[in-house]
Amino acid sequence: MAGFCFSLPHNVEPMRDSYGFALRPQHAQSYRQYASIYKEEEGERADKWRRFLEQTVKSSQSCSSEGKLEEISKAKDSDIKEETSSGSLSEGNDFSIRKSCEGTEIEEETSAERVSEGRDLSLEKSCEGTKVEGETGAELVSEGNDLSGRKSFKGTEIGEQTNLERQREADAETKEGKEGTVPARVSEGNDSIGKKSVSDGSTASSSEKEVHYLEERKARKVQTWGEIRPSLAAVEKLMRNHVKKAKKIEVEQTNGKYDNLPSIEESEHLEVVSEDIVGEKVCTKEMLDNSINDAREGNALEDNDSPEFHSHLKELETLVQGGVPKDLRGEVWQAFVGVKTRRVESYYEDLLAQESDSGERKEQDDSSGALGKWRKQIEKDISRTFPGHPALDENGRNSLRRLLIAYARHNPSVGYCQAMNFFAGLLLLLMPEENAFWALVGIIDDYFEGYYTEQMVESQVDQLVFEELLRERFPKLVNHLDYLGVQVAWITGPWFLSIFVNMIPWESVLRVWDVLLFEGNRVMLFRTALALMDLYGPALVTTKDAGDATTLLQSLAGSTFDSSQLVFTACVSFLAVSEARLEELREKHRPSVLVVVEERSKKGRIWKDSKGLASKLHSFKHDPGSLVEEMKTNEGDGMENAGDKSQLKSHSSNLDELLHSLNVDSEVDSLPDLQEQVVWLKVELCRMLEEKRSTIIRAEELETALMEMVKQDNRRELSARVEQLEREVAELQEALADKKLQETAMLQVLIRVEQEQKVTEDARRRAEQDLAAQKYVVHMLQEKYDKAMASINEMEKRVLMAESMLEATLQYESGQSKALSPRGDRIPSPRVEIPPPKSRLLNFGLGWRERNKGKPNNEEERRESQCNERSESRTL
Amino acid sequence: MGCSASLPERSSNQLGRGNSENGGGQDAKNLRVKLVLLGDSGVGKSCIVLRFVRGQFDPTSKVTVGASFLSQTIALQDSTTVKFEIWDTAGQERYASLAPLYYRGAAVAVVVYDITSLESFNKAQYWVKELQKHGSSDIVLALVGNKADLHEQREVPIQDGIEYAEKNGMFFIETSAKTADNINELFEEIAKRLPRPSTN
Ligand SMILES: Nc1nc2c(ncn2[C@@H]2O[C@H](COP(=O)(O)OP(=O)(O)OP(=O)(O)O)[C@@H](O)[C@H]2O)c(=O)[nH]1
Ligand SMILES: [Mg+2]
Repeated sequence: MAGFCFSLPHNVEPMRDSYGFALRPQHAQSYRQYASIYKEEEGERADKWRRFLEQTVKSSQSCSSEGKLEEISKAKDSDIKEETSSGSLSEGNDFSIRKSCEGTEIEEETSAERVSEGRDLSLEKSCEGTKVEGETGAELVSEGNDLSGRKSFKGTEIGEQTNLERQREADAETKEGKEGTVPARVSEGNDSIGKKSVSDGSTASSSEKEVHYLEERKARKVQTWGEIRPSLAAVEKLMRNHVKKAKKIEVEQTNGKYDNLPSIEESEHLEVVSEDIVGEKVCTKEMLDNSINDAREGNALEDNDSPEFHSHLKELETLVQGGVPKDLRGEVWQAFVGVKTRRVESYYEDLLAQESDSGERKEQDDSSGALGKWRKQIEKDISRTFPGHPALDENGRNSLRRLLIAYARHNPSVGYCQAMNFFAGLLLLLMPEENAFWALVGIIDDYFEGYYTEQMVESQVDQLVFEELLRERFPKLVNHLDYLGVQVAWITGPWFLSIFVNMIPWESVLRVWDVLLFEGNRVMLFRTALALMDLYGPALVTTKDAGDATTLLQSLAGSTFDSSQLVFTACVSFLAVSEARLEELREKHRPSVLVVVEERSKKGRIWKDSKGLASKLHSFKHDPGSLVEEMKTNEGDGMENAGDKSQLKSHSSNLDELLHSLNVDSEVDSLPDLQEQVVWLKVELCRMLEEKRSTIIRAEELETALMEMVKQDNRRELSARVEQLEREVAELQEALADKKLQETAMLQVLIRVEQEQKVTEDARRRAEQDLAAQKYVVHMLQEKYDKAMASINEMEKRVLMAESMLEATLQYESGQSKALSPRGDRIPSPRVEIPPPKSRLLNFGLGWRERNKGKPNNEEERRESQCNERSESRTL
Repeated sequence: MGCSASLPERSSNQLGRGNSENGGGQDAKNLRVKLVLLGDSGVGKSCIVLRFVRGQFDPTSKVTVGASFLSQTIALQDSTTVKFEIWDTAGQERYASLAPLYYRGAAVAVVVYDITSLESFNKAQYWVKELQKHGSSDIVLALVGNKADLHEQREVPIQDGIEYAEKNGMFFIETSAKTADNINELFEEIAKRLPRPSTN
């Protein structure tokens, strides 16, 4: 069944973390892994903070009286038992109890206390000097101070309204004071946003709260203020230096201008008196309202110098770096930013009242005025702020809208800037609406002054500063990025502007904010960014192109779940990055940004009235009056803002120097008045600076281009050589293969030759054997021949003998016949007939022997030559 | 960059070959392109990118602070691939002072307006002018009328978009990130129009 449910389209909803923020699917796994670590860390830090608060509260109770101690013990009981009690509970006890019970119900109780605490602090106020209040009043007005008539008008307006408001407020407070529990309900109800973010609240109590909330809404339109728990007063006290500094500046700026304004804090003062009636806790005042104490210069100084103060501050710093416990975070942040000190009673309400009053004029505003533009942008962005977050329902979004519009009214030099929607949204998740407003005021007006203004000067300056720091710290990494053509500011710009919201996982965002808000400046921004580069630099240098590097850095940053590692790396490894150093670097880089900004805003105007700067300059030289007038009107119609103002100031001081050094040359002399000279020189200076800057940029571009080309060139050469070598290798390999083939062929030939040799040898041996056999045969034949010859000789002898015998016989016979017949005639004829056979037989025998004599030698020779011939032919 | 004139001789020879600045690709078959999206806030720049890169439409997109980066590679029919390195910028007017950081060196700029908002069309023209003045000289410009699905609420006639684009030598298309209409076509068309690096 469940499986089926998950496959439904509406369940494609992204997974959410414990803060209710959407998790990217690819991070779900890592988040689950870290969730247990977070929980563990949370437990540890809760203990640490509790101990710290207990200890500091004790030590800060310099006026410790029994009344207070009594109160503490009372607090313990009431905290648990009376859920809706508005009793004046205080101290860290409620905190420790809450820790053990861990639930929203109890948290609600704490918010109830907040209001009751208001009563205590009011006592304190009754003994405040008016001078201090005057300062606060001046502070209020200071946002809109100087230069423009519009702004000073607004200032007065606020003053007047608060003045009226003060009276009304006083009445209301008296009434409420009598009713006792009502104020508690107020803050309780309005706390609902904060409560919802912690989704484990019991339904019973939340619905109950809802009712109260609605009731309250009817009773008082936007009372959404809640005091922070008293146990954190010690923290507030430690933090007062930051806040006071900011305040002093503002006071100085407004000094004298608004003396006549009724001090706005007086309203609190009156409220205090009325509340005074309800309860008297003279001793607690000191402890509970330290922010008011802060204003007492002497006292503050005394405290600041005490070694105890410093050790506490140091301890607090360590704690903050370890993270602020979840359920304290909203209030601790308020203490850090000095929400209570900044707050001007009913100021927020008045801003909202103006908004609803101007309801009819809205149409008008929308079409022309800046406020209309901001309102429109806010409207576009409301639904795109933490979309789908459970706390940003209809009510949540209304709060967000009110908050942003109120801020835009409060500080028109900023108005509304995208990114603030996320800050406001985040603050609303952690604290009541008005508290969130003052926190936002603190962050944007103080910490990030000049950051979100129309020209965003400081944010651009910070990027240049950061790049320089990065270059200093990680030269290799920056070189690599340069080589890839990646500008660090592409990636870190959004980090800084969003204060890491949506850029790194939420746990890490909150941890960074903890430190940033504690430190009261933007140092943590730099340290965190450096830490991220430290963590991911090694991976970055392996990337091969700009796209890969950017993707990698973006996604690695997005998976920085190890928030402790991040914060510790930031705070320990980059301790040397201090505000003083940053200021130094900012001073160095600011002029170049200002030049571009000025050029740009000029262009913007040109674009609007399609008139070239050149022609303007030209006409100015001939008719200086016109441009001055133009400048004036520009200033008048709100083109200039806080950032620009400081820029104008710095420019004019530069120009003053320049004027002195110039000793007034003739051209300048001819100009009608000093202001015009200043204007003209300013324009000239800007132009020159711009020229210089563009030349520098061009030179840099050329240099990088050159470097790149050299690199490419080298690469090309190398690759060509590699190619050539490869070709050679291939050739060699081919040759080698050929050689091998040849070798095998030769081997085969060799084998064949050997075989043939063997065959030849055999043949020769056989031939020799044959020869021997034949020799033997010849020998035998010789012997036979010799025998035959011998027998022939014997036969011849016998023949001779026979012949001689025959002759003898014949001669005898003839003798006889002679005697008988005549001798001679008849006897010679038989003799002639006999010799031929004898000679023929002899001749044959000799001839055969002759022939056989030469034969064996010839035969041997012939065979041998035949063999040789054959082997030779085979070898070939 | 157009700075060859003052470069030493040896390097200036190289200039003719590649166009590694401009985000141009390295070889003819695999291009790498830096693309920047500009336009008024809320016209749907982030939605267009998300539709193109992830194929999703989230009606509850987040406000873009500063800028955000995504990349996507597409294959063309002639078997070349184009890797888009996309910078999606913040739309609010004051963030315009940061825009040069992102459009400087971009090979493509996509200027987006919302067809249901005349104001956003005017803003688009501002961007076109700015790019013509300060963008790379060979930048490919595209004009996009988004939210075409909301034609009943149309305030900018399609003809106006076409004419303006033609006059300024831009590619024009109407898209809807919501229905995905013409989103891929937009990027494919851009890819076709890219100057190809010479083959040697
Ligand atoms: N109907 C319709 N709505 C769209 C379309 N594209 C965007 N939207 C809506 O327009 C709103 C703004 O879209 P975004 O993409 O966040 O606007 P953006 O241009 O990125 O705005 P910035 O980040 O402020 O510059 C979103 O809430 C979307 O719901 C579309 O094609 N059709
Ligand atoms: Mg966007």
